[in-house]
Amino acid sequence: MDTNTTIDYQVERKRYYKVLVGLLLLTAVTFVQPYIFHAGTFTAQMFIAVIKAWLIVMYYMHLKGEKLIGTMALFSLSLVFVFFVIVIGVDVANFQFGAESHITAAAEHTAGAAHAATPAHH
Amino acid sequence: MSHEYVPEIATDREGNEYEVQGWQDDFYGGKLGFWLFMFTEVMMFGAMFLTLAYYNTLHPQDFIEASASLNRLLGGTNTVILLISALTMGLGLLKMRAGDIKGAKLMIWATIILALLFLGIKAVEWTAEYNHGVFLGLDAMQPGNEHSMPFGKILFFGMYFTMTGLHGFHIIIGIGLMLWLMKRINSEKVTPDHHILYWNIALYWDIVHLIWVFVFPYYYMIGGGDIVGGIAHGH
Repeated sequence: MDTNTTIDYQVERKRYYKVLVGLLLLTAVTFVQPYIFHAGTFTAQMFIAVIKAWLIVMYYMHLKGEKLIGTMALFSLSLVFVFFVIVIGVDVANFQFGAESHITAAAEHTAGAAHAATPAHH
Repeated sequence: MSHEYVPEIATDREGNEYEVQGWQDDFYGGKLGFWLFMFTEVMMFGAMFLTLAYYNTLHPQDFIEASASLNRLLGGTNTVILLISALTMGLGLLKMRAGDIKGAKLMIWATIILALLFLGIKAVEWTAEYNHGVFLGLDAMQPGNEHSMPFGKILFFGMYFTMTGLHGFHIIIGIGLMLWLMKRINSEKVTPDHHILYWNIALYWDIVHLIWVFVFPYYYMIGGGDIVGGIAHGH
């Protein structure tokens, strides 16, 4: 459980550089991706970011083999998502098409007001 | 300065003395505690990203156009700078654990310099955006006047300044923590055998890097377009 053990400096250093090369390559892919294929840019960019994040978390943050902390990380991410669904769900249900909304332009409210009661908005 | 542990003694009703278990050297506990703090960071930035994603679904075209107007060259340079700074911080910790204190300190200084460079580039970027009328509180960012940007762009840039500003604030805090760490190393309170503070500050720096790993593509890259882009270039 404890990671405060003696280390093999050369092996660990090598690992750091390998991860660095991986991250640099992925950063390069991030840059060229929109020129290779334009459709699905958002999905591709987020996919690359997730791989980079995985490398950082596992190797730079030493989470590899840390079961408890890893589970907690997943739990906190799930918690954020659940709160997001609840909060945004309430917002969508109550305010998105009302004048009180702060996330759609005022002009859009007016345009949408005439159809506010129609099910097409839900 | 040595840190000799003086155990606490508890006495029962019969007068028997017992040594109380001390947790001063509980490395795993120290690490776990810091991870708990980092989860609050994940939840804070996570909520912002989810908000951003929701706004994006409401105004997809505005988001792509606003993203295309950001300076990808400066954003990308900052990405590489942070990436290398994560390496220097990690190598520094490695050197400390291996007993090379001087090398560890050099690596911390390298990280601080890279962090300052990051902030400098960010300042150049923000200044260019301000000079082009895109900044929190300016007319273009307020709905309902003749200079107003489309509403989706107002949301995009509002989130952009908020999130990159908060991230920049974390960088400043990180620099402060690294300077404090240097002080602790100089006074021998952080040593190769007692380096939990170094470990946790390195973790903090990694999470600052991790947040940028998502900030950069979401703000700078979803617009695609030309390699430079950018308000600073008059687009």
